[in-house]
Amino acid sequence: MLLSLDKTDTRPLHEQVAGAVRRAIAEGECAPGDRLPSARDLSEALDVNVNTVLRALRGLRDEGLLEFRRGRGVTVAAGARPHSELQIRVGELLAEAARLGYSRTDLIDMIRGMP
Amino acid sequence: MRDTTTARRMTAAVWTAGVTAVLAGMPLLARDRLPDRLATHWGLSGESPDGSMPLWAAALVPALIWLVTAAAVTVPLMRAGPPIHPWTTVTLLPLGILLTGAQAAVVRANLDRADWHEARQPTTWVVAILVAAVLAGVAGWLLVSRRRGASDDTTTSDEAAPALDIPKGRRLVWFSRTANPWLQLLAAAIGLVAAGALVALVGGLAAPGTLWAVFAGCGAGSLACGMFSSVQARVSERGLEVSFGPLGWPGRRWAPGDIDTARMEVRSPAEVGGWGYRLSGLGTTVMLRAGECLVIRPHGRRTDFAISIDDAERGAALLNALRTDRTRG
Repeated sequence: MLLSLDKTDTRPLHEQVAGAVRRAIAEGECAPGDRLPSARDLSEALDVNVNTVLRALRGLRDEGLLEFRRGRGVTVAAGARPHSELQIRVGELLAEAARLGYSRTDLIDMIRGMP
Repeated sequence: MRDTTTARRMTAAVWTAGVTAVLAGMPLLARDRLPDRLATHWGLSGESPDGSMPLWAAALVPALIWLVTAAAVTVPLMRAGPPIHPWTTVTLLPLGILLTGAQAAVVRANLDRADWHEARQPTTWVVAILVAAVLAGVAGWLLVSRRRGASDDTTTSDEAAPALDIPKGRRLVWFSRTANPWLQLLAAAIGLVAAGALVALVGGLAAPGTLWAVFAGCGAGSLACGMFSSVQARVSERGLEVSFGPLGWPGRRWAPGDIDTARMEVRSPAEVGGWGYRLSGLGTTVMLRAGECLVIRPHGRRTDFAISIDDAERGAALLNALRTDRTRG
């Protein structure tokens, strides 16, 4: 699998790492059931602290994209791909709304108001 | 290329058949002048022999040793078909000379003797044969390495190497792993035998001599199978990092500057001489399964290092991109 990190990104590092893994899942770089590289591997290759990587992976587990299994490491959850695609689009929507001056509450109101 | 491959195969076949004929034929042709049993072994100190064989065995045993070795060396390479067979020449040339010389010495020592006990040790012969075999080995090695040095120039063209386009300000890393479930199963099975031998050893169930051998042999075999039953590779700004086995140890690392080129190649176990950590005419290959291999040429080396791994094409492309990025500044 290929992971990509933006060096100029100003978001917190754990969010960037989570974003990179989320994008890899959305693009089919790793299929459901595939084992992810270990946190130590990821941290060494991305040049990021191992705790930051673990924080990112735990976040993705809470989103339902990853499963932590004892003895098998971290695997991609079933149905993670469409899920991660939707998540990425919501993220883009939030960014676009912020750029146009809408707050999250405005956005939620807009979604509620949709027919 | 095809012509030289066929010529080399013919040479190997003729050499194998010729040496077999000489090894088996010499004692049989001279049987009228030889005793019923031939002296075939002499001790280090004494002049008189301490081992003998019937005439037919003295004719067939060296021929069989020769045929089995020749088959073991040539058959995997013949099936594979790459035009480089260094080990064939380096093994078969000196071994053929050694066996033929030894057989000639045995026949000569036994010639016109009534009984094998009268045969004297052919010391000068033995020394001459050993020298000839070593010289042949060196000559074979020089011949092969020169030939490979010449063919190398055509294979390493930098332009053909694929490179991934790394967008500015991006950090790309590539991960891949490959496992061979059969090797894992084999490692587990041999490991069980080793554990069984250890239990029997501790329990004092059988003779310790054989059991120790079984335990040591199976233990080492199981470790070797387990170590090369899976590989992980990653390519990052640190270069290429490869680690073996479930523990990720041992491992090897090449910085981007230590690599001349990287490419993908499809290889099969038949081409490199089997599974596991293989040294062959293609360089070093860590072979787990037939298919895509990531092949690199380390800087300053004349041979390649390859691992069979999925998605090798992109790994090689990223490695090339990192390498050229570094040289550009």
